[in-house]
Amino acid sequence: MYRKKFFWVTLLVFGLILAMVTGCTQPETTTPQDGDEPDGPVAGADVVKVGMVGPLTGGAATYGISVRNGAQIAIDEANENEEIPGVTLEFISEDTEGDWSKAANAFSKLIEQNKVDVIVGAVLSSETEAGGPIAMSGKVPTISPSSTATGLTIGNPYLFRNCLSDEVQASQLAEYANVELGFEKFAILYTNNDYGVALKDAFEETAKELAEVVAVEAFMDNDENFKPQLTSIQRKDPEAIFVAGYYTEAAKIAQQALEQGLEVQFFGADGFYSPVLMEIGQDAVEGAIFTAGFHSGDESPVVQNFVNKYRQLFNEEPDMFAAQAYDAARIVIEAMKSKGTSSEQIREGLAEIKDFPGITGNTSIDEEGDTLKDVLILKVEDGVFQRLR
Amino acid sequence: MFLQQLINGLVLGSTYALIALGYTMVYGIIELINFAHGEIYMFGAFVGMYLVTVFKVPFVIAFLLAMVLASLLGVTVEFLAYRPLRRSSRLAALISAIGASIFLQNLALLVMGPRPYTFPSPFTPKVYKTSLVTISRVEIIILVISFLLMIGLTFLIQKTKIGKAMRATAQDKDAASLMGINIDLVITVTFAVGSALGAAAGVMVGIYFRTVTPMMGLMPGLKGFVAAVLGGIGSIPGAMLGGLLLGIAEVMGAAYISSQYRDAIAFAILIIVLLFKPAGLIGRFMQEKV
Repeated sequence: MYRKKFFWVTLLVFGLILAMVTGCTQPETTTPQDGDEPDGPVAGADVVKVGMVGPLTGGAATYGISVRNGAQIAIDEANENEEIPGVTLEFISEDTEGDWSKAANAFSKLIEQNKVDVIVGAVLSSETEAGGPIAMSGKVPTISPSSTATGLTIGNPYLFRNCLSDEVQASQLAEYANVELGFEKFAILYTNNDYGVALKDAFEETAKELAEVVAVEAFMDNDENFKPQLTSIQRKDPEAIFVAGYYTEAAKIAQQALEQGLEVQFFGADGFYSPVLMEIGQDAVEGAIFTAGFHSGDESPVVQNFVNKYRQLFNEEPDMFAAQAYDAARIVIEAMKSKGTSSEQIREGLAEIKDFPGITGNTSIDEEGDTLKDVLILKVEDGVFQRLR
Repeated sequence: MFLQQLINGLVLGSTYALIALGYTMVYGIIELINFAHGEIYMFGAFVGMYLVTVFKVPFVIAFLLAMVLASLLGVTVEFLAYRPLRRSSRLAALISAIGASIFLQNLALLVMGPRPYTFPSPFTPKVYKTSLVTISRVEIIILVISFLLMIGLTFLIQKTKIGKAMRATAQDKDAASLMGINIDLVITVTFAVGSALGAAAGVMVGIYFRTVTPMMGLMPGLKGFVAAVLGGIGSIPGAMLGGLLLGIAEVMGAAYISSQYRDAIAFAILIIVLLFKPAGLIGRFMQEKV
């Protein structure tokens, strides 16, 4: 009898572990500047507080840390060059651990306790969705550098963003692949989360209008084995595969496709943008084409200035998140310069941004607070990213 | 298509089988589900990766060293986390096992960081193609090594003296100890062999998918456990069969039902087996020993 009971207890514990595993338990990354310590100089006459909300620890920490670092560079530059006369910017970052409920708390804390004048954030779409209404009721303008969910800014005059939407990327890429490159038979392999599904839907819609989609298969984040899906896809004999996912999985997919003799053109979105793509994928990802919001190999002086500063300060290559956050903070500073530094003035300034020359392309803000900007198309050539468009 | 998916399933299943063996051997001897086994698999993969990339050790030697070092880790875990609890309730040991698993996982995260490490394939990639199936060299190597290890294990258990001692301990620990068998030694050897097999699976999965991460032991660890239960926990041929069947079921499910439900299929199998055949496919319920 004892054994039987034990068996059920074991099962129960097993179930609990499973729930825990699927729910959370992600890496914690510590960095020197975590927490809510004010990062900027506090001296000076007028202090304007810029808040930042995003995951600084936990599984999504890599995005949040990039955003914080990018925004930090913009703020430091503005302080060094005294871009806004008589005003010192103070930068306060709040950790969300990638959790939307903690994001809501972080927004409240920044607005009520720290009395920030403007917020750069949040990072993940779910965080911005939770924080947006709080920013609106506190009347603090907020600009997200990376939340791409559809319609996020609609109905909230205090919420802006500076990023490429998933839909725009995917449909422009489908058009480019068909019209410019002449591909007719596509397969889609997507990661089963908001990002992957949004990309898949948009790509499928455009690709079906112009050409043919012969197979659509899903995978999960952190999957390693894509052979079953690739075998199914191979039978349909497509010319190209659109991988709606991130670089680690994309590299493995390309690798395994090559191994099983599936020779196709790979397409992707901004999730491909990382040197890890080539590190894992090696020859298999050569020739892959994807959309991106930022290209660190761009030779223009503003981009190189940012890339060099980022390397010096943080000892790594800036990614798209860092670049978009840098631009978002630059846009906030631009709004302060044009209108003034109170929350209401910053909001007015943000709403009027037109053709701002950022490192992620010319940026305008439309009447809904959404961004209009160019989509870059990059290609892997000899192990580095080259710009196609 | 079917034949190709069958091969995909066999390759995946043979790694599950190796992991399942570690679970089942330990359960057979001390009736403990060693949840830290997935982390030993991860450790093995990291050791293999380090030896190959940093120390430029030839692959065969790296493979064997990874197995040896993982055995040491397995034995250490047993010594620190399970041995002091041997006389307490089994639940205490189980919780200790979960603690060891979480500890090792987070230790790896702390030391290695969360990013994936590349494990370069030591074999020049080559694909063998027939009209029906394509199979890569790495896949053949994984299949061959897995089956060799399984044959080796069967030999160890059936034909050697320590194997005989292991079987005796599994049947009745007290009687075995009365016959002069050193139970502590048997348990140590069991952990060592089980961990070595787990590490072998880790290294092979590492070269197959070319990456190693601190979290890589989690899912395969759970799947290995499912495979062990499927075959009948405590039964060695059961673990081998369970692993292969689980791999094939997962791949077929992804191919013919939906690729979204791949993990769900594996755990649905666990539930169905427990409901209808709780002793597993070739396990048998033993009478409670007094």
